Order: sequence, then structure tokens, then C-alpha cells
Amino acid sequence: MKCRKDKYAVKIATLAVSSMVFLLLTGCWNNRDLTEINMVTALGIDRTEDGKVLLTVQVVEPAAIQSTASGKGKGGGAQSKPVFVESYEGETVFDALRSMLSIVDKKLFLSTAQVLILGERLSKNGISEALDFFQRNHEVEYEMDVLVARNATPKEILEMETDIDPIPAVYIKGTIENTVSRAKAKRTILLDLIKDMGDSGRQPVIGQVEKAGEKEVRTEGAAVFRDGKLAGWLDPYETRGYLFAAGKVKSTIVNIPADNGKISMEVIRSKGKINAEFKNGEPAMLTVRVGLEANVGEYEGKGKLDSPDDLHKLEEILGDEVKKEIRRALDKAQKDYSSDIFGFGTQLHKYHPQYWKKVKDDWNDTFSKLPVDIKVDAKIRRTGVIKGPIKKDG
Amino acid sequence: MYAVSRYWLHCKMGDKDMLGRTRKRNRMVKQNAHIDNIRNDTNEPIPQTIGAVRSGLQEIFTGCSDFVLREIVCGKDSSIRMLVVYINGFVDKRVLNQDVVRPILDYFSNAKLQDKRNPIYEQLKECVVNNNDIKEAENMQQVMENIVSGEALLFIDGEDRALVIGVKAPQGRHVEEPDTEVSIRGAREGFVENLLTNTTLIRKRIKNPNLKLEIMQLGEQTKTDICICYIKGIANEEIVREVRERLKKIKTDAILDSGYIEQFISDSRLSLFPTVGNSEKCDKLAGKLLEGRVAIFCDGTPYVLTVPYLFIESIQVSEDYYDHAFFATFMRLLRLLALLVSNLLLGMYVALVGFHHTVIPFKLMITLAASRQGIPFSPITEAVLMIVAFELLREAGVRMPRPIGQALSIVGAIVLGEASVAAGISSNLMVIIVAITAVCSFVVPPLIRATMLIRFVFLAAANFLGFFGISFVFVAVFVHLCRLRSFGIPYMAPFSPLTTSDFKDSLVVAPIWAMVTRPKILRQENTKGAAGVKRQEARLKR
Repeated sequence: MKCRKDKYAVKIATLAVSSMVFLLLTGCWNNRDLTEINMVTALGIDRTEDGKVLLTVQVVEPAAIQSTASGKGKGGGAQSKPVFVESYEGETVFDALRSMLSIVDKKLFLSTAQVLILGERLSKNGISEALDFFQRNHEVEYEMDVLVARNATPKEILEMETDIDPIPAVYIKGTIENTVSRAKAKRTILLDLIKDMGDSGRQPVIGQVEKAGEKEVRTEGAAVFRDGKLAGWLDPYETRGYLFAAGKVKSTIVNIPADNGKISMEVIRSKGKINAEFKNGEPAMLTVRVGLEANVGEYEGKGKLDSPDDLHKLEEILGDEVKKEIRRALDKAQKDYSSDIFGFGTQLHKYHPQYWKKVKDDWNDTFSKLPVDIKVDAKIRRTGVIKGPIKKDG
Repeated sequence: MYAVSRYWLHCKMGDKDMLGRTRKRNRMVKQNAHIDNIRNDTNEPIPQTIGAVRSGLQEIFTGCSDFVLREIVCGKDSSIRMLVVYINGFVDKRVLNQDVVRPILDYFSNAKLQDKRNPIYEQLKECVVNNNDIKEAENMQQVMENIVSGEALLFIDGEDRALVIGVKAPQGRHVEEPDTEVSIRGAREGFVENLLTNTTLIRKRIKNPNLKLEIMQLGEQTKTDICICYIKGIANEEIVREVRERLKKIKTDAILDSGYIEQFISDSRLSLFPTVGNSEKCDKLAGKLLEGRVAIFCDGTPYVLTVPYLFIESIQVSEDYYDHAFFATFMRLLRLLALLVSNLLLGMYVALVGFHHTVIPFKLMITLAASRQGIPFSPITEAVLMIVAFELLREAGVRMPRPIGQALSIVGAIVLGEASVAAGISSNLMVIIVAITAVCSFVVPPLIRATMLIRFVFLAAANFLGFFGISFVFVAVFVHLCRLRSFGIPYMAPFSPLTTSDFKDSLVVAPIWAMVTRPKILRQENTKGAAGVKRQEARLKR
């Protein structure tokens, strides 16, 4: 009988404790309806001249999107815009975000943000301070793409209206996503950027976005950082060279000169490897090894591709072309910006930790002085459906 | 093994029963005590004179206009007097006249035929009445019972016994296709209200003397015939005994439907999940009997109970065994999915739009937000409104006379679907979700009622704690399911306890030729089916 009573008491206690837990838990679990939030699709941050943060948000209006998608507007009057853009100045990013509520009705919800655009001035002054908020806040989407705006402020880019997609942020994200098939822009998601910032063996490279017209943006090239500050830019071909060396090229078109014309090679697979060769406890040479496979995509000219010899010749030319691009990127990184964007430092850290400890602090300068050996091994797999171009003269 | 199972059964049903249950039973017995007294009063011998019998019966049946008394006077000098008693409408009058009354009149008016040595009673019983179904009633209680259950009684002056002549007229519906369990393939025959017809339908399918039908009467007032049916040698004797005992313990005034019995004999009387199955289909019931289950027929209802009833049976359909096994397996999984969806979908939606915005893909989120825009209610209010409206529609659809059905469906579709969205009362996404929930709940009919209520629990938990609340309730329900037992058999078998040999007929359906053993979890004495025995013999020969 006593036993039963004890069990009863235990049951009551469990019930009480568990219900208390639930009541306490609800405090930090907030039930917010979807209609009570403003979904932020893009964020832009820049510095003002007096050192404050200028935050720009692009917020989506779901109902307007829905009506454009289904082709009928509610009411019959002028269609409401699918997004609105607001800017606010604040001491910090978080301050600006909260203070912005004085001009925006509902709480800004950051998890839907697709892109984060960094201004040129902010980048030159250093981005690590501004990015602290994005690492600290639990609501921020780590997969969001980061871009640096060139020749325009983030605000100008976010305020552009495009015909391509009702939400400009989605459009911008789309252009940077498709770099997998052109490899002329560096795609950086926030998580990778944060990782790179904390890694002294590799300097971050962020894709570049600029205005291409009244209604279009262009994402080509990349911004090179050194110690968290913008050091300079890479043009599209240098960017591709960098991506080849880093092994991040999925697919791209490389144009090479050929007999009586030019050939567009479609790279279908590529591998890149970097290393440092040591002599007497000091790195003597940096090496870049790239292996790639390509198809002949287009032949503008009159040559023919009948024999294996022709193809071997082409392979050599293609290898040289890629090598040239890598060399250009390396030259920029070493001579102009003195920034190890390739991550040779990380390799040293991994395989020569003792040496790395010594040079860690001024690695970028050491890096600039080291000779680099580049080897590209190109293979041609297919020439397409036809062998050579159609011969008009028979 | 048997010792163990017996222990289980005793734990569940014995004296150390769940709290308060034995007490309740005692109270019930007390309530019904006066009924027992009345019955004891009528337990008296039959008066020898026809007059006394007549006046006695007339007194008891005062006010029963359907009660018929007919006195037959025949023989030399009208010396033989008899009394025929029956309830009008119950007996086949033509049979009664032709096979009982006319032979009597013929026999006793023809002096040559009479056998002087035997008493009249014996003569009647042995060579006069043309009916095979003859019993004897020896006291007034038996007389009363037989009269009210539709037999004709024959009293003879000077005898303290009465002949009970079975001339019951067949009554009720014909055997037809059941409305509740429709199948595309398989037998169309469904049970009817008549017990005898039902048992015949089963006997027709299982031609085996081992098919046992034990009859008993329940209900102090209704005296309803109940029949326990099982296949001796396949069904677990322990379970049969347990069924018998539980049925005997029922003390109640009336059994109007097998649902009454179900509530009395369920292991867990408050659980939302059914631990006693029911079916209207003959082929399905025959299948259950052959698996080793026990059926309980109840006169007056086409629903036959089967025990033990396990969770997995709710997604089993007789067509699963008639169709290709792959198709059947796919349908099983689909039914399970439907069960989960009908329980969880509403709660999930509320949790998603209320708490977990981060897990929604961006594009979907825009759609969600757009459909929620301008709705004055919170998601939970909206969900409860819509689902209650749906349940009302469903209930109305069941209750109302059939010709009005069309009007109802128009109201339902237009007002609840279109107009509420157009008016901005509910979001169109919510209408879709309620519709999917409703469709899915109809896929698993045995669990409709359980799902209907549990859905609200999930909804509340989702609104309170989001996915965490949902998972909490889910675990709670699951634990409850694992704790349930049906006649000592774990409800979640064959998954808990794990009985791999029974997997062949669980989420997957093995082809019929591969199902060589009977369900092990039911612990029959004889688990090998005919195919299994054949295989074993072949193995031994080798």
C-alpha cells in the first residue's frame, strides 16, 4: 500500500515538473505568425563617411509576389511592388537593424536573406567588425551569398528593379549561383567567409557585383582581401585562374587560338592542387598542379580534328592558356596585393607546422617573394558530334 | 510459453486488476440484483392443468398484443386438450399449421392411428409433430425464455412438461454487400442481423468440424444470443478461455450491438485506440479465424468482433491478400503514411508558420506568407475552425437522410472551401491542408475516431511548443501504443516485441505462397500452415 502511495507521489511530481518545464520553455520559444514578420531577402552594409554603419534591407511583400505569379492583382488599381528597400544609419549593424523599426512596421526576419552585399568603403576599412553580428545572431542564414559591390553602393544595387525576377535578391543570387558553369566569379557563402577570416593561412576572396545597366547587375570577377581589408580586384580571367588553382572550377569555356580561327573548349572536369616544396627547412618553391578534361565545344575556323596528333596539339595549347590565367592571378596576388588567397599557408600549417609558427605573422610577405611552378595537364575527351567544321570549298 | 502468457492474462484480467475496476463490477451486480429475484420467482414447475397454464401465461403477458394462445380440443369426447402458445410474427404460421396443428388434429381424430399404450405426450413428441427441432421445457422459466425467443410451445393437459417446437420464421435482411467495408476484389457477402445466418456464412467458408461455435446469452433484459467462434487447434486456448471469462463477467441489462460487448471486454477501456476489432465482411472474418483469432458474434448486429486486435490490423485490408504482393505492400505503406499525415499535418503546418520559419525553403515561405496575408485569425484558430467545420460536415453527412446529401456537399464545398477563402476568413493553404488531412483520415477507417481526437492534441502541442511539442506528443502516443495489450497480446506486435517471423504480414505483405506460418505472436498451438507442414515433411525426407 505504501509502495502505491509512493508511486502516486512520483507521478504527481513528474507531472508538475514537466508542466513547469513547458511553461518555462515557452518563454524562449516564441510563436510568431508569418504575417507578423518582414521577410528580408537581401542585406547591404556600408560605412558612411563618419564611420557609421549604413544598413540597407530589401524586404519582400509576399502578397504582391503571389499576385504577379498568378497574373492577377488584388483590387484592380496599380500593382503593389513586390519588394521595398529601406536604409538606416546606426552605430553598429545590430543598432541599425533595430532602429530601422522606426520606419518599418514589422520585425525584420533575417533567415530568408539570400545575399549580403558589402560596400566598397566598408571593405576597404575592414569587414571583420561588421561581420561580427552575422556570426553572433542565431537568426542569420549561413548559406547566404556574400558579394562586394564595385563602383556602386549596396543601396544602389539593392534598389534596382529588374524584369528578370520579381525579387532582385533572388535574381542576384541566381547570377552568382550560375558561376558553376562559367567560373568567372567567386561564389562565397557567409559560412565560408567566416571560416576564411579566421584562417591566417588563406585570405578571403569574395565575388564582385556591379551594375551592368539600368535593370541588370553583373557578377564577374572577385575582390581580394588582406587581413580583413579590401586589397584589390581580380578580373574575370584572373578569377578563373584563381579558381583553377584552388580546384573550384566545375565547368567553364576556355577559348584558344587554332589554325585559321579559334576553338572554344568546354572544361568538364578539373582538379587543382597546391603545395610548397621545402629545401633546407625553408620553402623553396610553391607548386600548382592542375588536371583538367575538356570537350571541343565550338570550332570557328577551317582546321580539322581528325587525328590524335591534332588533339594532342590542342591539349597543349589549352594547358598553356589555363596556365597563363593562373600565372596572372598569382602575379596579382603576389605582387600587387601580397595576399595568399590560394591557401598555401594552410598547406604549410598542415604539413610543416614548426615552420608555419615562425612565419605565420608575416606569411603574406614571404608568400609574395616565393617562385611558383605551375603545371597544367589538359586532356580532350570528345570533339562533339562532328569532327571538323563544314568545308564549303570541298 | 503458456505459463508466461497465462501470467499476462491474469495480470490484466485477474483480481489484481486496474484500480477501481473490481469495485465497479460489484456495484453493477448489486444494481441488477432485483432482476435476478424476478427470475427466481418464475423458476417454478409447469402447472398440470391447461387452465392453470393459460391463466398464468395470460397474467404474465398482459398487455402484449402479439401474444397468441390457442387451445386445441380433440380426441374421443374431446378428452384431449392442448394449448399452443407463441408470439405472433416470430413463428412461421404456415409451418406451424401444417406441421404441428394439422397432424395433431388428424392423428387424434383417427382412433385407429392412436397408440393406446404410450402417453399422449410421448406420442406427440415421437410420431405426430412433423418438425425436427423439438425440445422440452420443464419449468416456467424455460417456458418464458422460449416464448420470448420466438419458439412455439405446446402444453398438454395433465403434463408438467411442454414441447418447444422450433418454427421460427427467417427474418431480417438478406445477405448483401456491406456499406462500411467496400472492396473491389473479394467476396461481396456481408453479415446480417441474424446470428444463425452469420454463423452459416462462416461455416460455408471454413468447412471443418474444428470450427467451434459456443453460444451464450447476455443481457438481463434482452437475452441476446452471443456466439464465440474459433478454430480449435489454431486459436490459442488461453485466449478462448479468456474471452469466455470476460463475456461471463458482463452484467448488464441490454446488449443491443456488439459495440456494447466491445466496451465491456476491452483490455484498456479508456484508450482511444481500439483493442477489439470488428468486421462486416465474411471473408475477412474467416481470414482472422484462420490466423488464430477468436470471433464474437452478437445477434442483432452485422458487426462481428475479433480478438486479439493489434495495431497493424488497422492498415490491413482483405484485398492485400488477393492482390499482387508488391502492390499490396505499396498500399500498406501508403496507408501508414496517410495515418501519419492525418494525425500530424495540421500540427506541422501550425508549427511551421508559428515557430520554425528557418526550415521553410525561401520560395515556399513566400507562398505561405502570401496565403496568410490578411487573415484575421492566428493559424491555430484557423486550423481549429476549419477542422471543426469539416467534422461537422462529416457528422451531418452521416446523420442526415440520404436525399439531402447533395445539398450538404454543395454547402460544404462552396461555403467552406471557396467562400471562406474569398472572404479572407481562412487561407487557401489551410483549406488544402484540412482537405488532405480529411482524405487521409478516411484511408484508415478503424482509427478514424482515435485520429480525430489526437489531431487536436497535436495541434495544441504544435501551437504551444512547435516541433518540440509535436515530437513530445508523438512519443507519448507511441509509448501508450506500446503499453497497450489486446487479450494479453502486445498491441504493437510484431514490432514491439520484435517478432521477425511475423514481418511477412506487417508493413510489407509477402505473397500468399510465402506466408507459410501463422502469426507467431498470437501463440497458437499450431503455427505451421498447411504449406509449412508440407515443407517440413519435405525437409525431413531429405
